[in-house]
Amino acid sequence: MTEWFAIIMGTCLFVLMIPVIYRICVGPTGFDRILAVNVIGTKTAVLLVIIGTLYDRVEMFVDFALTYALLNFVAAIIVSRYLNRTISLKEMEAREKAKKEAKAS
Amino acid sequence: MKFFSLIPVIVIGGLLLWAGQDFPKWGDVESPASKSPVSSHFIANTGVDTEVPNMVTAVLADYRGFDTMFETVVVFIAGMAVIAILRGSSVGRPRRKDHEVEAEPDLIVTNTVRLIVPVLQIFAFYVLAHGHVSPGGGFQGGVVMGASFILIALSWDLEKAMSRFPIERCLFVAAMGIVLYGGIGLLSMMLGGEFLDYAELDKILPVSREMARYHAMLGVEIGVGFTVASIMFVLYANLASEGRLKQGL
Amino acid sequence: MIESLSTLVLATTPDAGNEGFMLLKIVGIVSGILGLIFFLGSAVGMLRFPDFYTRMHAAGKGDTLSTMLMLGGFGFVTMDDFSLGSWLLLIKILGVVLFIYLTTPTSSHALMRAAFEDDEMPMTEEDLKKSKKRGKKKS
Repeated sequence: MTEWFAIIMGTCLFVLMIPVIYRICVGPTGFDRILAVNVIGTKTAVLLVIIGTLYDRVEMFVDFALTYALLNFVAAIIVSRYLNRTISLKEMEAREKAKKEAKAS
Repeated sequence: MKFFSLIPVIVIGGLLLWAGQDFPKWGDVESPASKSPVSSHFIANTGVDTEVPNMVTAVLADYRGFDTMFETVVVFIAGMAVIAILRGSSVGRPRRKDHEVEAEPDLIVTNTVRLIVPVLQIFAFYVLAHGHVSPGGGFQGGVVMGASFILIALSWDLEKAMSRFPIERCLFVAAMGIVLYGGIGLLSMMLGGEFLDYAELDKILPVSREMARYHAMLGVEIGVGFTVASIMFVLYANLASEGRLKQGL
Repeated sequence: MIESLSTLVLATTPDAGNEGFMLLKIVGIVSGILGLIFFLGSAVGMLRFPDFYTRMHAAGKGDTLSTMLMLGGFGFVTMDDFSLGSWLLLIKILGVVLFIYLTTPTSSHALMRAAFEDDEMPMTEEDLKKSKKRGKKKS
């Protein structure tokens, strides 16, 4: 029963991840993409525990899940720190465009 | 342009998928890896020789100890090379690029990191010391340890992390890791065995030959962990601030 | 010491497979399904909401709660007996739950602050009306 529960939970998680992956591909701003990557990273920790249940080695996979959650947190903090310390993305694009036009002329 | 770069991606991806069919099945008895005498020898003998349940750790730290020692040296050389290239390379350049602005450390992030970092460091030691029975070991524990220092540098600033773990101490700890590794090897050589032949350590440890290998492996892993943790932080600090070690990312 | 303690714990508990463990499993399955429902809400919110801040609202809350519920549910489902090993496993899983409880809202907050300082303005009512009109014209 435990195995069936794990399999059904895993499939449902994969199906529900599709809208989030759509947000990664299409997302109008960069922040949407980062947010969606963060959501998928959190859910991967759950998937690791599910895989551990299927292999009957949960005590091993829990460590992986904790490490994965840690790396996910570090990634989000790095991205937000970088965006905090630089000028806004729109302004950066505008400056690059101006540079290109100056080169072309 | 985007369309043209899509073509090689699809072609190479399809080739890789097509070539993936030739892999042996999972757990196949007839596959070359499980037929070779080496793997069957390891499976039969690691538990008897070293009393370590995790075969990967035994192979990594004992049977192929020489290989792992120079992997650690490679990590050390990587940190050294980054310092040698980046130190002093920013002399003539402006202190701040024109797309950078000042930013205060965030209150919520710093408080969360303050809570998490001690737990993470204990987890790093757990991963390092528990590598004999579960996946883990020096490299993994070192990475988690280095990530905790990187988190401090990210949430406050680089100076705060540098005041906790200055670059000189980083390099000292990294070198100490290699000295620890090589020292255990040399000690076993002095006691009459070969280089990295840990079983000879039973002459000074009050345990059997098998348990001597077990404990020597732990010492070796601690050496690897020292080097990896400090070199991780050195790499981050140098790359994020272009060698100035001040006001990085 | 530990071995004698674990045998003591094993000896005092009833045999595995009785109704007590069934109850634990049912609790685990129910919380797992609850977590899936919350994640459904968060996924639909990611898909349908109009601007970044509302999407972050859906993702931040639903993601944290659903992950915690699912992990806790698996912690209960995998408990087959009251031996020391399975207690340790449950505590480890609860540690991951605590970690996610602390870090996911923090990373959402950091992203929100980064977006706000990058002049990403939240959508007002007039913007919403404009986008609706545009959608009608297109269709």
